[in-house]
Amino acid sequence: MDFYLGLLQIIGVHTILGLSAYVVMLTGQLSLAQAGFFAIGAYVAGMLTVLAGFHIVPAMLVGALLAGVMAFIVGFPALRVKGLMLVIATLAFGEFVRLFFFNFDYQISKGGISVGPLGGEGFRQIRFFPENGWTSLDVMLFVWAVVITVMAALWWMDRSRAGAVLRAVGEDELAAQSAGINLTVVKVAAMTAGGFIAGLGGAIYAHYTTHIEHLNFGVILATFAIAYPILGGLSNVFGTLVAVIFIQGVLVEGLRFMGDWRNLLFGALIVLAMNVRPRGLFDERVTALLKGLFTGRGHART
Amino acid sequence: MIDFVQNCFDGVMLGSSYALLAIGFTLIFGVMRRLNLSYGPSIMLGAFVGTLVFLEFRAGGLAVAAATVVGAVLVGIYVERLCFWAIRQGAAVASMVSSFAIWMQLEEVVTIAFPDRTYPFPPLTRTEPMDFGPFFFKVENLIMFACAVALTLGLHLLLYRTRFGLRIRAVAENPDAARYMGINIAAVTFLAFACASAIGGIAGYLIVAQDGQITPLFGLWATFKGLIAMMLGGMGSIPGAILGGLLLGVVEAQNIWYLGTEYRDLCAYALLFVFLVFRPGGMFGHTLAERERLALRRV
Repeated sequence: MDFYLGLLQIIGVHTILGLSAYVVMLTGQLSLAQAGFFAIGAYVAGMLTVLAGFHIVPAMLVGALLAGVMAFIVGFPALRVKGLMLVIATLAFGEFVRLFFFNFDYQISKGGISVGPLGGEGFRQIRFFPENGWTSLDVMLFVWAVVITVMAALWWMDRSRAGAVLRAVGEDELAAQSAGINLTVVKVAAMTAGGFIAGLGGAIYAHYTTHIEHLNFGVILATFAIAYPILGGLSNVFGTLVAVIFIQGVLVEGLRFMGDWRNLLFGALIVLAMNVRPRGLFDERVTALLKGLFTGRGHART
Repeated sequence: MIDFVQNCFDGVMLGSSYALLAIGFTLIFGVMRRLNLSYGPSIMLGAFVGTLVFLEFRAGGLAVAAATVVGAVLVGIYVERLCFWAIRQGAAVASMVSSFAIWMQLEEVVTIAFPDRTYPFPPLTRTEPMDFGPFFFKVENLIMFACAVALTLGLHLLLYRTRFGLRIRAVAENPDAARYMGINIAAVTFLAFACASAIGGIAGYLIVAQDGQITPLFGLWATFKGLIAMMLGGMGSIPGAILGGLLLGVVEAQNIWYLGTEYRDLCAYALLFVFLVFRPGGMFGHTLAERERLALRRV
């Protein structure tokens, strides 16, 4: 049972991470900095609960806010470039954050043992959940409460004017600009929102694993973050969720019986998925088809 | 002052290996306008093939080098077929994500086939460092520098003096126009990719031989160093890639001397970020505004 609860926690946190990349991707930009914002949220929230004795919720919000502020600061200069250049610029920023935490020491003594981040050793003993008697089920429900909040907020945003503006920029920057949309404001806002969401995910991640180190936040995590929305498609937030379940639930866990050979098949399946569906598993056609199934209007809109 | 100059020399030597990696990246990016994240891991796999030849047959340096290059080229072809040839034009992001998935595959292959992780690699030479007045040079570094210069010259001749080079440049300039001129884009891309892999194999051999050992982490290292050097110089420009590599090497060497090794990579990424933001075209590329003006003129 605990195994499945743990798996649900992982899927939840990765969904938040994927959604943070999804927001940025709506504007047509690809950010590999999400792992960096995730790391900022994780370290800040962890330090607040462990060193300052905060409750998880305010700690999480402060961590996410700080990640959002970093995204805002980075967003301004970084969004001067676009496309592959932005991918590499954000990759550089993400690695910069990782290496910063690799060199970051801040320990205080608490009850005879020293706690806090210790460079390459990582940050151990983030024991807010066990100390306060949360069971795995409580943690899982907490994770999913956050996931559902984020998904609902994004779903609502997608249906408001903000969503239309984001998608307009993503579809055609020149046309959006001609329609009087300020590109910088839109892109930086999306980046900030993405940073905030990634920070939320990081804060939860730090608390359920209880031990974080810089290696957790490398380029692999950053690529996973963008792989979810790419694989899931950008039609709506559920694409990302489906992609996370597909990758984390089916590929990573389901292929565990393959042992060492897992990554071989994993790589092959991703390549196959990208070949068959370059616009994502949930592209416009599948979404229209599903919509038709649920509303009983058949193939009215394709 | 003497320290500073010695660091500059060391940096140029270190940078020549980065420059070689960056040239391979540039060749792929210039022709396809796509990023191959598996570039480093395919070189790493080639180097493991070289190690295998060295350990099994006690082969000499030349045979190990040949095995490394052949291995890198074969893996490069595998990557090209799966991530670039099979995915249609325009889906640059799908290619990048696929090449990353292949990266995971390649690392897994190496971990399964070579479970000890760190393997010995035959050194290039065993001669002592040479002194020139207050400065000293390692012989391996000089050989690497010479190889970088020779390869660059060779590549320049290939690109600007042969019909094949003309085809590569035509495809890089404008794929559609090249197709109308009867150029087989898939074939040119394939051969350019193989060339880039071969250059990567040579670079990989020189770097690994200098280290005297190979680990699976080399793939990540090679991809990042090559990528940073290419971006510093300006995407798609070969002289830029070389200068970018040398600049990165010098900055790192100064950094190691004055700040310590732990800040080496941190500063490399910070440098890249600053360059991308304030001079997105790199040292040799066009600035963004110029590039947009050029694009408009083409329309």
